[in-house]
Amino acid sequence: MAATYLLPNPKCLSSFLTNPPSVSSIQFTQLSFLNPLDHKPHSSRRLNVCTNAKKKNPWLDPFDDGEDPNMEYGSLFADGKQEEDPRPPDNPDNPYGFLKFPAGYAVEIASLGLKVRGDVRRCCCVISGGVYENLLFFPAIQLLKDRYPGVQIDVLASERGKQTYELNKNVRWANAYDLDDYFPEPAEYTDMVGVLKSRYYDMVLSTKLAGIGHAAFLFMTTARDRVSYIYPNVNAAGAGLFLSEIFTPDSLNLSEGGFNMYHEMVDWLGRPFRSVPRQPVPPLRVSISRKLKEVVEEKYKKAGAEKGKYIVIHGIKSDSKASMQSKGDTDSLLPIEIWAEIAEAVREFKPIFVIPHEKERENVEEAVGEDASIVFITTPGQLAALINDSAGVITTNTAAVQLANAREKTSITLFCSEEKGRIFVPDAEEKKCTIISSKTGKLADIDVGAVKDAIKTFNVSLALV
Amino acid sequence: MGFTILNSHFQSSCLQTRRFEGNPTSRLFKQDSTSTLVTGLRQAQEGKSKRGSLCKVNGLPDWPLMAVLVEQVQGVDYITVKSVTHLSDQAIKNVYSWYILFTVWGCLFFGAMKDPFYNSEYYRGDGGDGTGNWIYEKQEVMEAEAREALWREELIEEIEQKVGGLRELEEAGRKEEELVK
Repeated sequence: MAATYLLPNPKCLSSFLTNPPSVSSIQFTQLSFLNPLDHKPHSSRRLNVCTNAKKKNPWLDPFDDGEDPNMEYGSLFADGKQEEDPRPPDNPDNPYGFLKFPAGYAVEIASLGLKVRGDVRRCCCVISGGVYENLLFFPAIQLLKDRYPGVQIDVLASERGKQTYELNKNVRWANAYDLDDYFPEPAEYTDMVGVLKSRYYDMVLSTKLAGIGHAAFLFMTTARDRVSYIYPNVNAAGAGLFLSEIFTPDSLNLSEGGFNMYHEMVDWLGRPFRSVPRQPVPPLRVSISRKLKEVVEEKYKKAGAEKGKYIVIHGIKSDSKASMQSKGDTDSLLPIEIWAEIAEAVREFKPIFVIPHEKERENVEEAVGEDASIVFITTPGQLAALINDSAGVITTNTAAVQLANAREKTSITLFCSEEKGRIFVPDAEEKKCTIISSKTGKLADIDVGAVKDAIKTFNVSLALV
Repeated sequence: MGFTILNSHFQSSCLQTRRFEGNPTSRLFKQDSTSTLVTGLRQAQEGKSKRGSLCKVNGLPDWPLMAVLVEQVQGVDYITVKSVTHLSDQAIKNVYSWYILFTVWGCLFFGAMKDPFYNSEYYRGDGGDGTGNWIYEKQEVMEAEAREALWREELIEEIEQKVGGLRELEEAGRKEEELVK
């Protein structure tokens, strides 16, 4: 994946020069040869430049012919990444008193960087979907932070999705707003528009498929860059007018893309710019606070488990909202009877059943036995802390897989089909993740024997460690 | 000659009509009975004021307490409508506008008094004073602070790891030196 990111693709080169795509590299050399201003090393650097991968929307600005290749920039704010919070050193000997300037004090020239180099000081991520989708956006947030040092990232997510940001240290504000509501309450809507507008964002990223309505919502934030996915069908009509950058996904359900569901956006965010090379996509990482760890430790001790000596079992079938499935994989929960069968094979470690709702407790006790250790967890933060203290994880395709990978824990993952497994956990071996997929395409038909075999090797490998 | 404002003229007019009935010369005044009414009234008033006070003050100014509609049929006056409460058009408008204003104000005022959250945990929760006018919402601030603390924790961990790695390197270097010696 990383290799494809690093290669400059020929399509964006041609669009950079605003030539038709048929123009070959020969003509390109001629062009740079004709330009006296273009020095040899300079033009070779330009080769990497890929300002816009797609054709620009001519409706946005009819006189915008792309970047001027002859444009010369000064030294100020022209090149490189932005700096993190420029602040003068505190000077107690100042005749005007001891002035303590806030970060980003140079308001007189602050807008220069924003214009010339495209700095992003404040960024808002509008993320549609539940816990899983929000968790998979973490690498993009880290990428933003790396690409634009000192950027303040805020998040607008659904009620459930917002809970995920307990695990993210890079986010400043996280607001809950129901993005997928077809007709939001006018008061809430206007309030949110006002909140976003008054925060003066430089960039708004949205992973909700935008039609004209959502595009107008983003437009009203008055951010400089309004970046969004749009519907891949006619519903996108008119959305492009309100957005400065659009991505068209392959299907109506973005989550079907699996682990790299945001690859178009990430690709664009990490694009090379002048002398800044392409930003590599960081792996998914979560951070867990001490307080959270303490709370969860109490929970699993109550259930009769010890640190590092239990295995988390997640993905019990329930109609609860807290089951943390992906929207791209609906068949990803196993009934407790099968789980009970699987859990029998776990010998050295204590299996801990994570229930998303208290009403499941009875069912689990019925199927597994009264002495089963059950932990009631609904938030991704607590689940992450539980996984962090565990020896390993056995799960279906829920957020627990990604959390286990993020904390580098060994895991066995049950998928409804091989393809889903490949999409949702790429490079499974690197991540110490064993994928077991159902042959029939239904998760309930999974081969329990295979899972038990996997658990045996799992036991051995963990015992060796 | 003092203030003789003819507000409550109905009584005297009644007297006047009666007097006219008994008067044989009334036919002469038939054409303009109103004028005679007024003149007769004045005479009566003058007689009264001479006997009573010089200055007459109305207790309820601009508020005629009774209105009488008198119709004349063949020289005889009939009282067709007699209304005790009578307000002028302007006064009626004033009354109604006051009524509307009071109702609107009352809805707002007494409606505001019926706040189900008054003095509840919802208003008191994050340091509010129990009224709807002074609420804080600290949830998001707390979450943001928790994330900041998390960031600092991670930073400290990273630094510790780096320092630990450096120490290990140093120790390894020392051991090597010792071995060399």
